[in-house]
Amino acid sequence: MEIKEIKARVIKVIAEVLETEASVIGEEDNFIFDLGADSMQSLQLVAGFEEEFDIEMDEDKALEVQTVGDAVDFIAQYL
Amino acid sequence: MGGRSELHQKNLEKIFNPQSVAIIGANKKKGTVPFDILYGILKGEFNGLILPVSPGKQHIAGIKAYKYVTDIEDAVDLGVIVFPSTVAHMALEQCGQKGIKSVVIISAGFREVGEKGVQREQQLLEIARKYDISFIGPNCLGVINTDPQVSLNASFARQMPAAGNIGFLSQSGALCTAVLDYAEAKGIGFSKFVSFGNKADISEVGLMYYLMRDEQTKVILLYLEEVSDGRALMQAARDIIRQSGKPVLIIKSGRTREGASAAASHTGSLASSDEVCDAAFEQAGIIRCENVEELFNLAIAFSYMPLPVSNRIAIITNAGGPGVLATDAAVREGLELAAFSEETARKLKKALPNTANIHNPVDVIGDATADRYEAAMEAVIQDENVDGVCVILTPQSMTDIDAIAHQVVQAAQKYKKPVYASFMGEAGVGSGIRILQENKIPHYFLPESISRVFSAAYRFGQLLRQKPEQPVEMAIPGRPEAETILRQAAAEGKNYLQESQAVQLLKAYGFPVQKGHLATSAEEAAQSAERVGFPVVLKIQSEDILHKSDVGGVRLGVKTGEEARLAYGDIVSSVQSHLPEARIQGVYVTRQIPEGTEVIIGMKRDASFGPVILFGLGGIFVEVFRDVSFRVAPLGRQEALEMIKRSRAYKVLAGARGRRLKDVDGIVDALLRLSRMSVAHPEIREMDINPLIVLDEGEGCFVADVKVFIGG
Repeated sequence: MEIKEIKARVIKVIAEVLETEASVIGEEDNFIFDLGADSMQSLQLVAGFEEEFDIEMDEDKALEVQTVGDAVDFIAQYL
Repeated sequence: MGGRSELHQKNLEKIFNPQSVAIIGANKKKGTVPFDILYGILKGEFNGLILPVSPGKQHIAGIKAYKYVTDIEDAVDLGVIVFPSTVAHMALEQCGQKGIKSVVIISAGFREVGEKGVQREQQLLEIARKYDISFIGPNCLGVINTDPQVSLNASFARQMPAAGNIGFLSQSGALCTAVLDYAEAKGIGFSKFVSFGNKADISEVGLMYYLMRDEQTKVILLYLEEVSDGRALMQAARDIIRQSGKPVLIIKSGRTREGASAAASHTGSLASSDEVCDAAFEQAGIIRCENVEELFNLAIAFSYMPLPVSNRIAIITNAGGPGVLATDAAVREGLELAAFSEETARKLKKALPNTANIHNPVDVIGDATADRYEAAMEAVIQDENVDGVCVILTPQSMTDIDAIAHQVVQAAQKYKKPVYASFMGEAGVGSGIRILQENKIPHYFLPESISRVFSAAYRFGQLLRQKPEQPVEMAIPGRPEAETILRQAAAEGKNYLQESQAVQLLKAYGFPVQKGHLATSAEEAAQSAERVGFPVVLKIQSEDILHKSDVGGVRLGVKTGEEARLAYGDIVSSVQSHLPEARIQGVYVTRQIPEGTEVIIGMKRDASFGPVILFGLGGIFVEVFRDVSFRVAPLGRQEALEMIKRSRAYKVLAGARGRRLKDVDGIVDALLRLSRMSVAHPEIREMDINPLIVLDEGEGCFVADVKVFIGG
C-alpha cells in the first residue's frame, strides 16, 4: 500500500475518533497537544487503526507514537 | 540571592496573585485532573480571567477554549499545565512564546518514573531557562491562595480551604489532600497552600522566601521527603526567623539510619543523615515535628496566640488527674509552674470553694460552672508571674461546657497572654471545642500536648531575642602546608592519610599534637624517642593497616631508648605475623600524652548539609554509648560550647563529684579549628580525632590519635 493511501486512511480514522474535520489534521500534528486526544481516545485510535488496516500492533509501542506522520510510518511497518 | 532565585521570587508573585490563568490541557471529562483543576478554579471563585486551552474543544464548562495558549489574545499571568508528561514540554515552550513567566506543572511522569522522566524534566528546565520561566512541579497537586482578593485554587484538592495565616508547603501531593481534610475538621485556615512535587525548578527554599515576605502568612509549615540543599534550607530558615519572626515547622520523613553502616570513621557511623538533619534543623531554629498532628498542634499555637514571655505556666482544671498529667508534662518540657502572687491567691481563695486548690495547678473542682472558671482565669492570667494559661475541662453532669468555652475565649481576647485549652472527651465536649476553634483558641485533646506547644513557643520566643552568632574566623598560617599534604595524598591515590601525614595536617591547623618522628629502624626509633622525650608511644605505620592495636602495632609507656629499640622489633614482628602482606613504612614515635579525659571530635561530609562536626565522650566505646552531639560547620564559639554542654560527658568535664575542672576552652578551640578545616578542604571526607585527651583547666588538650579519610 502506498504511503499516500495509508495517510488518507489514518486521517479518516483520527477524524472519526476525535470527532473533528479531516481537513484540519496535519502530518506534523501531535495527537495530544494539537488534536486534543485524551488517554481513552488514544486507545480508541490504536483500535481504529488496527481495524482499518486489519493489523495487530504492539500496543505499548503504538501508544508511544506522538504525531500523525509517525503513525503513518508505524502502521506501514505492519503492511 | 541572585540569578534564578531572584527570578523565582518575581515570578512567584504571579503564581500566587495572577489576574489571568490558562489551564493548558484542560478537558471536559469530570473526575480527571485536567477537568478538576479547571473546575477547582471556577468553584473557588477565582478573581480573574479563566482561560482553558484544549485542542479540539470550542468551550469547556461554558468558557471559550483555545487550541493553543499562543492563540489567547489577552495577557496570561499564570499557566497551569495539565497535559500528559509526553507533551508538557511543548506546552511550556508555548508559554515561553506567549510571554508567560509563571507556571505550575501538575503533570506526573517525570523524575519519579525513571530515566526517561529525568530527561523530560531536564527538557522542562532547559525551556524554563530559555524563556526566564519559573515553574512549580512537575508531579504536584497545585497551588492555593485563599486571599479573598485572589481566591485561587489551582489544584485538584477536593475543596478550597478556609483563609488563615498558615502557609503550607508539601513535597507530597497526597499528604496535601489529607492535611486539607484534617484542617477543615479542626477549623484551621491557610494563607497559601502549595504542593511542589518534584521541585525541578522552584524548590521549598524559594517558596519559603516567598512566604517570608507574604503578609498573610504568619507560620510556615513544610512536609519534606528529601532535603536537596540542606545549607540553603538552613539559611532560608535563619533569614525567615531573623527578618520576619515567623516560625518554620518541618516534618522531614525518612527517619532511618541509612548510609551509616558504610562509614569508615566513628563520626561517619554515628552521624546518620537523620541525626544530621535533626542537628541542622535545631541549629537553624527550625522546629522538627514527628507527624501531622504535632505539626498542627504547634501551628495553631503559633498562629492563634502570642508567644509567652517566659516559661511560667498556670494550669486551671476541674479534674485532679488531668491536672497532674499536665503538671508532669510541663516539668518534662522544661516549664515552670507559676508561683502565684499573694494577691492572686487571695482572689482565688475568695472565688473558689474551700475544697479547691488555689495553688498551681488550680483545681476548681468537678462541679465547677462557668463562673468559677471565669474567676480563676481572671485571677491567674493577670498575675505577673504567669506567662500563659492551660485550661483543662472534663465533662461532668453540671459542667456548662459551652459557657466555659466562651469564658476561655473572652479571657484570651482580653489579655495578651497565650491561653490553650484541653476539653477532654469528644461527643459531650464537641460544641465547646467548636466554640474554641471558631474563636482561634488552640485546643488539644490531651493536656500534655499543651506543655509541648507552650515549651516550643517559649523556646522560639527566646530564639527571637538571641543575637545570631557568627562563625569564628581564625587565621591559619599553615593552610598552604595542609593543602600540600592533602594534594600529595590524593596524587598517591590514597583514601586515608598515614598517621604521620594526618598529624602534620593537624599541626598545620594549629591543633595540639605531640612531637613525633617516623622511624624506619630500631636504632632510629631509639634516637627519636630520646628526641621527643620519655615516656613515648610507638605505632606501626602502614597504609594497609587502619586499626593498629588489633595487630599488635601499638606500644605505650616506653621509658628508655633501649625499650624503644626493642619495641620497634616487637611491633614489626607482630604486624608481620598478623598481616604478612602489609607494606610497612616504619614506626611512628611520639611523646606519650599525660592522662586526662578522653573525648572524640570528628567530621563527616553530609550529602545535603556539607561538613558536620561531632563531639562526644571518646575512647573505644564511643559507638556503644552514643553520647554525641552534632553541628553543621562553620561553627561559632557559643555553638561549639553548646555541643560540649549537650553531651553527658560535660558533667565529667565540668568537675562532677569533686573532680577538677577540665579544659573545656581547649576543646572549643579544637572544634573551631576542625570546623575551619572542614570548610576549607572539601577533599576531607571524614575524620576522627579520638581520643582527644583533655587535661585540667588551663593545661589544654592533646590529640592522641587521628584518622583522616579523603576523596569521594
